[in-house]
Amino acid sequence: MRFLRQLAAVTAATAVVVLIGLAWHHLAPDSFGGQGGPGPHRFVRGQAATAVRRGAKVTPGVALNSGGTSGVPSIQLGDLLEPVNLAVLWNTAWIEAAVIAAVVIVDAGLRERRRARRGSSR
Amino acid sequence: MPVVSESLPLRRVAARTRLDFWFDAAILVGYTVAYSYGFTGVVIHEWLGIALGIALLLHITLHWDWVVRTTGRLLRPRGPDKLIWLVNLALLFAMTLCVASGILISRVALPELRISLPLDDPFWDRVHTLTAEVTLGLVPVHVALRWRWIAGVGRRLLARRPR
Repeated sequence: MRFLRQLAAVTAATAVVVLIGLAWHHLAPDSFGGQGGPGPHRFVRGQAATAVRRGAKVTPGVALNSGGTSGVPSIQLGDLLEPVNLAVLWNTAWIEAAVIAAVVIVDAGLRERRRARRGSSR
Repeated sequence: MPVVSESLPLRRVAARTRLDFWFDAAILVGYTVAYSYGFTGVVIHEWLGIALGIALLLHITLHWDWVVRTTGRLLRPRGPDKLIWLVNLALLFAMTLCVASGILISRVALPELRISLPLDDPFWDRVHTLTAEVTLGLVPVHVALRWRWIAGVGRRLLARRPR
């Protein structure tokens, strides 16, 4: 019962954040300025999933379409989770590890300094 | 005073602590994989993102007592955990907006669930990219600010118990 009450509170809190996002869109839809594709792009080696039509049925390991005259680039879902694209995953893990290491080093240094100051004041 | 001998089994880790440790580790791994869009492709990225959204609701629910307790202490001049509270608040905003915008721009998962949103607005694409990059900075900080707890529990959980 307590868990459900807390879950309801968390859901309400996240709903407030979503509402803030919707209000942002409503009040300032051009906040990011300009037109064109979203934000920075990452280039990956091998065939990446670049375009899937809304509502398109896709099955892992199956070519979605052949491109043809539709203008939609072909997508080979069998290429996903390919070792050749592992560099992308390592890149993410490396960034996370670097930030964690930096924060841990700073935190440990600050604790050490605080301990030393407390020791010298006694 | 009890004598601690190496032949004694290691202190038992509470079930709740074990749950927190492994669940949080799973969320971190899931987040890392979901962020690596070029590796997962759109299908896994979207389903994993939705699963992460649900996992985050559970994660915050499991730590709701901490949220209430720390929020109540914020006005004290030397209240503990102020920095962690601020990082967590920023992460709540970034992660929620990231998952929500991801759902709004979904090309595979939502149609698969027979939900159709008449949205074709670059705003949500940009919000998704921006909040994803913010979370990539905040998630490791969120983890690192608890490194002592992680190291302590991890050592106890992963240490081999003597037979």
